[in-house]
Amino acid sequence: MHTPSAGQHAPNLLEMRSITKEFPGVKALDTVNLNVRVGEIHAICGENGAGKSTLMKVLSGVYPHGTYTGDIHYQGKVQTFRTINASEEAGIVIIHQELALIPELSIMENIFLGNEPTRFGMIDWSTARRLSLDLLARVGLNDDPDTPIKEIGVGKQQLVEIAKALNKSVKLLILDEPTAALNESDSQHLLDLIRGLKGRGITSIIISHKLNEIEQVADSITIIRDGRTIESLDVQADGVNEDRIIKGMVGRTLESRFPEHAAELGETFFEVSHWNVGHPQVQDRMVCKDSSFFVRRGEIVGFAGLMGAGRTELARSVFGRSYGRYQSGTITMNGRHLELRTVAQAIRAGLGYVTEDRKTLGLNLLDDIQETTVSANLGKISKHQVVDRDREFEVAEYYRKALRIKTPSVQEGVAKLSGGNQQKVVLAKWMFTEPDLLILDEPTRGIDVGAKFEIYGIIQQLARAGKGVIVISSELPELLGLSDRIYTIFEGAITGVMDREDATPEHLMRLMTSARQPA
Amino acid sequence: MKIMGKATKFAAVTAIAALALTGCGRQDAGAAADADGASGFDEGATIGVALPQKTSENWVLAENLFNKDLKDKGFKPDVQFANSGVAEQQNQINAMISKGAKVIIVGAIDGAQLGNQLKAAKEAGATIIAYDRLLLNTQDVDYYVAYDNFKVGQLQGQALLDGLKEKKGKAPYNIELLAGSPDDANAQVFFDGAMDVLKPAIKDKTVKVASGQQKFEQAVTQGWKAENAQKRMDTLLTGTYTGSKSLDGVLSPNDTLARAALTSVKAAGKDVPVVTGQDSEVESVKSIMKGVQYSTINKDTRALVEHSVTMVQDLQEGKDVEVNDPDSYDNGTKVVPAYLLKPQIVTQENVKEAYVNDPVLGPLTK
Amino acid sequence: MNAIKQLFGGNTRQFGMIFALVALVVFFQIMTDGVTLTSGNLMNLLNGNAYILILAIGMVLVIIAGHIDLSVGSIAAFVGVTVALAIRDWGLPAWAGILLGLALGVVIGAWQGFWVAYVGIPAFIVTLAGMMLFRGLNQFVGKSNTIPVPEDFQYIGAGYLREVGPNTGYNNLTLLLGLATVALVVIMSLRGRAKALRLGALVPPLWVQLTKLTLISAAILYATYLFATGRPGTSLPIPGIILIGLVIIYGFISSRTVFGRHIYAVGGNRHAAELSGVRSKKVNFLVMMNMAVLAGLAGMIFVARSTASGPSDGNMWELDAIAAVFIGGAAVTGGVGTVVGSIIGGLVMAVLNNGLQLLGVGADATQIIKGLVLLAAVAFDVYNKSQGKPSITGLLTRGLSSRNRPADEGIPSTPDKIPTSV
Repeated sequence: MHTPSAGQHAPNLLEMRSITKEFPGVKALDTVNLNVRVGEIHAICGENGAGKSTLMKVLSGVYPHGTYTGDIHYQGKVQTFRTINASEEAGIVIIHQELALIPELSIMENIFLGNEPTRFGMIDWSTARRLSLDLLARVGLNDDPDTPIKEIGVGKQQLVEIAKALNKSVKLLILDEPTAALNESDSQHLLDLIRGLKGRGITSIIISHKLNEIEQVADSITIIRDGRTIESLDVQADGVNEDRIIKGMVGRTLESRFPEHAAELGETFFEVSHWNVGHPQVQDRMVCKDSSFFVRRGEIVGFAGLMGAGRTELARSVFGRSYGRYQSGTITMNGRHLELRTVAQAIRAGLGYVTEDRKTLGLNLLDDIQETTVSANLGKISKHQVVDRDREFEVAEYYRKALRIKTPSVQEGVAKLSGGNQQKVVLAKWMFTEPDLLILDEPTRGIDVGAKFEIYGIIQQLARAGKGVIVISSELPELLGLSDRIYTIFEGAITGVMDREDATPEHLMRLMTSARQPA
Repeated sequence: MKIMGKATKFAAVTAIAALALTGCGRQDAGAAADADGASGFDEGATIGVALPQKTSENWVLAENLFNKDLKDKGFKPDVQFANSGVAEQQNQINAMISKGAKVIIVGAIDGAQLGNQLKAAKEAGATIIAYDRLLLNTQDVDYYVAYDNFKVGQLQGQALLDGLKEKKGKAPYNIELLAGSPDDANAQVFFDGAMDVLKPAIKDKTVKVASGQQKFEQAVTQGWKAENAQKRMDTLLTGTYTGSKSLDGVLSPNDTLARAALTSVKAAGKDVPVVTGQDSEVESVKSIMKGVQYSTINKDTRALVEHSVTMVQDLQEGKDVEVNDPDSYDNGTKVVPAYLLKPQIVTQENVKEAYVNDPVLGPLTK
Repeated sequence: MNAIKQLFGGNTRQFGMIFALVALVVFFQIMTDGVTLTSGNLMNLLNGNAYILILAIGMVLVIIAGHIDLSVGSIAAFVGVTVALAIRDWGLPAWAGILLGLALGVVIGAWQGFWVAYVGIPAFIVTLAGMMLFRGLNQFVGKSNTIPVPEDFQYIGAGYLREVGPNTGYNNLTLLLGLATVALVVIMSLRGRAKALRLGALVPPLWVQLTKLTLISAAILYATYLFATGRPGTSLPIPGIILIGLVIIYGFISSRTVFGRHIYAVGGNRHAAELSGVRSKKVNFLVMMNMAVLAGLAGMIFVARSTASGPSDGNMWELDAIAAVFIGGAAVTGGVGTVVGSIIGGLVMAVLNNGLQLLGVGADATQIIKGLVLLAAVAFDVYNKSQGKPSITGLLTRGLSSRNRPADEGIPSTPDKIPTSV
């Protein structure tokens, strides 16, 4: 899998020596060292909050020189970046997880934003066009440069970001979770591109939670834990594999990433048949096509599908028709036919839905933990529409302990929590509604390994308590490790279902990328 | 909770009793009663002057004069403009009461919306003088000092007729009417005074309101604002005075609106009509000198302020206050004794004599 | 019943504004030689600002929900003139006039709420339209005239608590009300403490709570004293009582009821709220409707205070109300703000206005100072947020809030009442 490495003995492009960065009360980085050789792909691994992003902000001048201690040697010189502009000048470009593109502007306008080629003070669009065609070709994108950004998918947007970086004659490209929002094929394309750039002498630093990708592309790895450098590994020489990385990240070996789980399956209690839903804006476009599925008590059901296949749309249309235009189909629960027209009805009927995107759909980031915990079931702690604040506190405290939410108190704002702890709060909120069926949409996205493991445990506990659980995920290993049964979805239709024992990644992938097979 | 309630009640009664015994309750407010008495008040007393919005030069001049004259006579003046409206003026009058003003001179924004503040002022022992604009529907106003506004209207109407005859050749003449703000009691008085003179001329067809808009409601200018008058004139000119039809005269209640009308006519490319005015504003006096605006009214603010201050002095000394029209101003609740000053019409002919003693306008006419 | 506790135990920003308010009062008290804190002036403050503060109550809910309402001044004027005309021309009694005004507020609110909530037009636009629409209707209905209202109607804008019982040298009702409030505050506070102790939550040291209670009680008693010893015939003004009642009711609704939570949820993250079962359209509709009803009430109180409805009533009120809300700590983006904070924000502006008038500072300078204060208050907040630390006053008052601490110890490890599936 490895392309020839840039050479064991290539000189260092970047050396960060004994970087220490303190925030009031917290030492975010403690004498961190990072050596990146010319022409390599260097991965930085660590749990959320380990200090990876802080380190990159130090490097790129977001935290100006003087606010940290330690030295940055880059291209053989000590650098004192005070702004992002200064680091970009030196050829260091960082691409953040949240893309910095303007949706209404075209690909070309975005590439040259803040760096427009001018002639006599006017933007020289013909030059811009020529340059952008060239840049797009280099990243393997053949869309018209005049296409607005909002009209291309997130995978292509990522490529535009890289094209923008190339335009700035990048020498060191830093990618923060570049594939977090991409589906498998887009991810693969991106990783290939990074390897291609390496061939052209561009050094990259990748921060990623997807260890399989790191194993695939990285030449060397630096592992950070609790603001300290734990180890630096050479992928080939040290024979690195996923388990080895995880051990470094969490400080222990996880015997099994998926806790043992013996399913005790009860009777089928939830069934959706011939479910048809139209797109909310586009007439005649269907997001769910005649979908049928069922869930048994105590069962964890996986929904596999590529991004945009219609998994979330299916879940949300079932959950009180909160997405799309309902056209036909029935829901049967515990033998009774249900009409769930609103989210409130769905919750009352015993459904819960943990959203895919915590920040924009799942949480009110202004709330604190206790307000969030009770927010989907206020009625239960209210009398005559008046909220009992003491009960609220008790409930939140209970879940804080039960789910081991790491926080100084339940009055802490949810915005301050790490991704894993935020997800636990969201789980607490839905557990408090006492659902019979809990739908989890990408429950471990952007969550570090340790917290993932805990969340898997919670999901299994729910199943053991006789609940039905649906897990929607882009990560096949997660589905294979967790589910009792897996449905595959492609272009809004369910293309197959298989028990865990029969499922293989290859088989699933085939069903996720092609129309229904004859049974 | 019932026991609690009883306990509270008990505590309350005990506390009231205790407080009552210590005698620190409110003083007998007998002092307030002699407001109307002839006993006068302290020489250095605070005198409140509540003026409306700072919309014309007159009010700014009045502010300066009040401050100066009252200070000269040993009083402590508190002169306030209510730029953001009636609510602010209410609060300002309240503040004057809090400061213990002995006389409050009120140039009201809306004379009918101050009843409660005036009542409080009276109860606190202050004397109320309505300045320039009458205070309506209230018992609590003692004197009214102003120019004779009906007379102003009559002079404006007469000036318009004279001007038309003098400048526009033979009858009939086309004219338009502008009136003041409907929330100012004086606006109607000016208009009625003018119509008193114009009606016969309209009847015998010497003059014609070409747009047909000759009712007060149709002619009003909300808030005395130039922009509103100008907009209306623009509309009238495009609507009624098409082609070569000429506009010969405009009845305007004051100088600001007169100039607005002239601006509008100029923009429409029509000949300058005969336009009346009032207030002797600097720009209008210049305009009269140049022969553009036809007339204005000289209601010397100095004289008005001077007489107001004289009233204050009489009140302070406990003397009778001089009025010259004790029974023609009924504000809806009572007849307010008034002192009326005589307005003077000013045209190009008498402009030099009219402002000869005026430090600002005098030099302009040389 | 914890509303009173809420009144004083709010967030840190609120404490900052309380301190600013107290500082302003002290400053003007000194500068005006003691005129600021007199019975008459306190009544003026309350009477002259009650209607703006009532608007601020509705406005903060609108702003928390993520909207804005520019039409409140026009609605107030329209309701005011309609009620004044109905009383004068149809001979309605005062109480029927008030009911008519409130009903009109409901209808207007339903109109605006419909466009905002169910059609989905931004409130800025709907209420900008409303601002013109209802200003026009006000002039159309009232013919730009001043329309007087009768004495009994004036009671809601200019009335005072009556004199009852023996002549004690005080207004007895005011005194009773003040003492009852103090008793209530003391009881609530001590019961709250007992309950917190029972639950095992940490409570502030006893002396802190007692000091706080003493200060609060002293403030209430002093205000009571001032209101009870005004000129004969005056006491606690009726608009003030209406205002206090509304503050307690709306403070309670916003912080303690399911509906209140839903307003914050919709403003904080509408999508998340909807996916938690909140009917955001209904929330938006009710919030807009409520605003119009309160605007109608404010308009009537102003007309009552002015003894007449006039054509310029309500001009710029929306901006005063919005300023109060933002000084009181609300966020433009929604989800943040409190009723009590907005009232305090409004009082800061009111005291400033009043103090400057007492000092005889001109209206122009007053406007300049108010503009700068608005900017400074919000800038202070933004600065502190960007520094990632609570406001200075927040630090000072950290120990005063009973619940802002880790409560690790002493919580019963298995609350018996919570059913759960783990």
